Amino acid sequence: MNKSSIAIVAVIALLAGFGLSWYAHVDKPIELESGLWFGEQARALPEFELIDHNRQPLTRSDLNGQWSLIFFGFTHCPDICPIGLQTLADMVRAIDDPDVSAALRVYFVSVDPERDRPEVLADYVGYFNPGFTGATAAIDKLTPLTQSLGIAHVIRNKTDGNPDYDVDHSAAMVLINPAGEYAGLFGAPQDAAAMARDMTRIIERNPL
Amino acid sequence: MIRLLIILVLMLPASAFAELEFSNARIKNLPPTVPVRAGYVSIHNPGAAPVIVVGARSERFASVEFHRSLMQDGMMRMEPVSELTIAAGSSLELEPGGLHMMMMQPLQPTRPGESIELFLLLQDGSEQLLPMEVIK
Repeated sequence: MNKSSIAIVAVIALLAGFGLSWYAHVDKPIELESGLWFGEQARALPEFELIDHNRQPLTRSDLNGQWSLIFFGFTHCPDICPIGLQTLADMVRAIDDPDVSAALRVYFVSVDPERDRPEVLADYVGYFNPGFTGATAAIDKLTPLTQSLGIAHVIRNKTDGNPDYDVDHSAAMVLINPAGEYAGLFGAPQDAAAMARDMTRIIERNPL
Repeated sequence: MIRLLIILVLMLPASAFAELEFSNARIKNLPPTVPVRAGYVSIHNPGAAPVIVVGARSERFASVEFHRSLMQDGMMRMEPVSELTIAAGSSLELEPGGLHMMMMQPLQPTRPGESIELFLLLQDGSEQLLPMEVIK
């Protein structure tokens, strides 16, 4: 093999290497360290209408054009729900990239609409991060949304005159993509730093 | 003076049996509209006999109970726990997402940074002071 053929082979090999790494970068599925990424399996949410903590409607179309993390719970929950909201607040603080922060919204949806009036939710979510949105709806309006996300919730021990009933609920956090599709899931217990890295990975690969 | 002595004598058993050690005792604060708080603490029993905690009280809350968060059928639920047993020479963790104290109905607002006195009621009838720090 003469010198020029060696040079040609080297150039071809180099180009192939670039091509492969470019191809691998684009097509490599997103791997999360702390959650599940549905990739092509992302599916559209059903229509829903909730009331947010400012008493404004919150519908599926409000989630378009942004990344949304939704956590379900209730304010009379002393342990799991403050842990989840604190984790989300810590996660937001841990995200370095301002474009990622700007693209991400956090929602706390109460599955206890009777006690969690909008003004209670405003106080509650604002305590963790003033940018968070609280929302709820009557149970029959909530269920189509929660069922489509695989979020279970059951009110327990509720009798007339017992204000201290419990609500069992899934503690997962669901991720909705800018097309309004269910795109990923973070199961409990969540880790704020790992979620921040995961959300950065997702949004930097899929900027708005 | 005599009354003071009587009070001191009455208080004696509580301190005489004070044998648990606490670390990282804290209450997660929440806004005043929320009528519950969770308390966490690491309890160590350096003694040679198990210690059983049968309850807790605080003048700052209408009631204090022990609860456990647990996963069942894909949902988190809370179950009351009637007593805590701390084996001789071992520790029991009351921690986020597991066994914890549930404080109901604050009788006045709680503020981050303040210390709240809690008393653990032991099975032998004594009480032990547990100072808890309110955290943001």
